[in-house]
Amino acid sequence: MKKVISLCFIGALGVLLLMVMASMPRMGDPQSPTNTRVIDRYLEGAEEETGTENVITGVILNYRGYDTMGEVTVIFTGLAAVLAVLGRERRGRIHAYPDRSPIRPSIIVRSAVSFLLPFIVLFSLYTVLHGEISPGGGFQGGAVLAAGMFVFAAAFGLWRAGRTVPPWLRYAVEGAAPVTFFLVGAAGLVGGAEFLTYMLPKASAGLQPSLRTWMTLLVEGGIGAGGAMIFLSILMAMAREEDAGGQAA
Amino acid sequence: MDRLLDNYHYAAAAILFCIGLYSVIVRPNIIKKIIGLNIMETSVFLLLVSMGWKDGGIAPIHGGGAEAAAMVNPIPQALILTGIVVAVSTTAVALSLVILLYRQYGTLDVDRLMKEEESESAPAGAGSGEG
Repeated sequence: MKKVISLCFIGALGVLLLMVMASMPRMGDPQSPTNTRVIDRYLEGAEEETGTENVITGVILNYRGYDTMGEVTVIFTGLAAVLAVLGRERRGRIHAYPDRSPIRPSIIVRSAVSFLLPFIVLFSLYTVLHGEISPGGGFQGGAVLAAGMFVFAAAFGLWRAGRTVPPWLRYAVEGAAPVTFFLVGAAGLVGGAEFLTYMLPKASAGLQPSLRTWMTLLVEGGIGAGGAMIFLSILMAMAREEDAGGQAA
Repeated sequence: MDRLLDNYHYAAAAILFCIGLYSVIVRPNIIKKIIGLNIMETSVFLLLVSMGWKDGGIAPIHGGGAEAAAMVNPIPQALILTGIVVAVSTTAVALSLVILLYRQYGTLDVDRLMKEEESESAPAGAGSGEG
């Protein structure tokens, strides 16, 4: 009964939504309201105003810099909430199902993972460092790096993963994203401009990609490394099992 | 109706939204509810990103002689990046709460969880009447 009522409700909602979609401007119309108001301003002005060739990176880090800083804080708060609920693993005691399983992952899985992992890490670095001149950026590169580490942890177990990326490194880098964002923003303040202007007058004279590019790269790198470590810590908190006599989280 | 065929991305977004809502409302398993929530989020991302599309558009990246007039709208893409990060964070928090629930009650079925909670609070809670 409950199912029938829900289905009727969802069906009605679906018809209503489809009717709305049918009355919206045609997708891809260059004259539609979404494509006419402020977009030209962003597309034409972004390169000079933000110093990045990728307009999306410019929008994320410059025009919407405060928003992205809040977003970075959101992931960090997410990690804090997960750790508050589940608790941090104790030193050297981490294990999970793949570690205890009597069946080891086959040689094919293990050698494929060890063969692919360097390339995954390299690709994530490329994605972070090329974020301002090609598709990519800090969040994307961090997600790729985290995915590579997840694959490693799935094939070799949490214990090996915890040894490969030592806990002190994770604890130290987790906060990197908000910290670099704030420091770079404060550098603009010190330089006599507004917060998050990516400027530091007097230091920028002889640098060959401009100082602004270096600062953008710094923020991207902070977001990438911090994001990847946050995801790995979330995985560690979620996948580990309580040991028999341990207190509940 | 023609317009709906032109706007097939939007139509797909509406259908995805309904699928996600279905699994949030009907499925008793909490993890499937969270998956449904993620499907709903994805449908919104699809809708907003497709709104920025222009006919024959190119990626909004200068350099290599790309002309600004042909580029697609960069704003929805930047917004969706924010949205994805927030979705990941909320999913992580929700899943950790689910892990805690499973450790406590040994089930992920919402109906059984509600029953467990009722039977647990019935003897103890004397004066908390809340529908």
